[in-house]
Amino acid sequence: MKRWLRLLAAAAALALAPTAAHAHLVDTRLGDFYSGALHPLTDLQQVLPWIALAVLAAFQGAQRARWIILVFPLALAAGGVASLYLPLPAFAPLLGLVLVAVTGLAVAVAARLPLGVLLAIAVVMGLLHGAQNGAAMVVTTDRVLFLSGMTAIGYGVITLATGSAIAFLHGAAWRPIALRAGGSWVAAVGIMVLGLNLVRPVAG
Amino acid sequence: MKRLVPNAAALLAVLFAAIPLAPAFAHTGTGVSLGLLSGFMHPLSGADHLVAMVAVGLWGAQLGNPAIWVLPVTFPLVMAVGGVLGVLGVPLPAVEPVIALSGIALGLMVALSARPPLWVAAAMVGVFAIFHGYAHGQELPEAADAVAYAAGFVAATGLLHLSGILIGVLVGWEAGARVVRTCGAAIGCVGVYFLLASVGVIE
Repeated sequence: MKRWLRLLAAAAALALAPTAAHAHLVDTRLGDFYSGALHPLTDLQQVLPWIALAVLAAFQGAQRARWIILVFPLALAAGGVASLYLPLPAFAPLLGLVLVAVTGLAVAVAARLPLGVLLAIAVVMGLLHGAQNGAAMVVTTDRVLFLSGMTAIGYGVITLATGSAIAFLHGAAWRPIALRAGGSWVAAVGIMVLGLNLVRPVAG
Repeated sequence: MKRLVPNAAALLAVLFAAIPLAPAFAHTGTGVSLGLLSGFMHPLSGADHLVAMVAVGLWGAQLGNPAIWVLPVTFPLVMAVGGVLGVLGVPLPAVEPVIALSGIALGLMVALSARPPLWVAAAMVGVFAIFHGYAHGQELPEAADAVAYAAGFVAATGLLHLSGILIGVLVGWEAGARVVRTCGAAIGCVGVYFLLASVGVIE
């Protein structure tokens, strides 16, 4: 029994040993998928307009909102592929901030947009963010995995956010107002950082 | 079955193993997280900002429809204009005294349960929003992450309005309405303190 206790203590000591866990799979091959998936999520300049776009789509009704679930991830993937062959345009950070302000404002006023305009915003945003994320790849990055991860997270976020916003809009009168207030927050962020961009370039 | 006897050597081994030999990197206060945190704390760390924003929510609740919903949607946008002025360094006179004055004026409106026309209330709140935004915006160029900082302070401001609106729900009851008006008076007093401090009358 004493032997077992010693073994147990030794096992516990080993289990508690504070060595690096390597829980992040960046060192493994599949890690590039997760790198691609996490990259956009670490930048509020991308996450905020994604959610604003989803809410904006929800304000157009479920029938129209469905289209961005298809169009946005495809544009994101196309932007990522384009980044392999084309340099990121110099106006990319400015355009990114304009998208934050515009989508936020559109949500704040609960704008009813023609489907073409909604999809155009989704395509421009997808292409831009796809290219910006794609530009972060280095020589050793597995491009297929990275771009797959990025597209998958774009699909996941836009689908969940759109679905949640559509479900949230049904019910009490304060709900659309809450979403519109959220849109005005996003727009305020975009407007202020656009102002800052006039003073000094903001990384995007 | 034998009794479990603590083994000193094993316990010591466990203790040593638990002592971290490598840095834990538990504090991730860089970039987005630091920007978000500093932005979020900015309106909360200044009592003059804090009480004025709560007063905006309280007054909105007293005024009822449509002020109660016009306010949370438009305030951040007007505040953003002030933020841009702050970022650009456009000189705005007496920023701190006007922010203190906003506490006095809004507190007074809540204490008196004043009901001016919507455009008067909107204009008054809008002017103060520009000054509050200006003060926050001045910090923006120094932020670790500008977008995260802006998101933090806009969210904190919005949540302060929401706090005011939720407290303002009490106006539905007679005693609650008195509580709300008392809150307004207290906010006005805080505003007076900050006004005197901003002009150097008190330390």
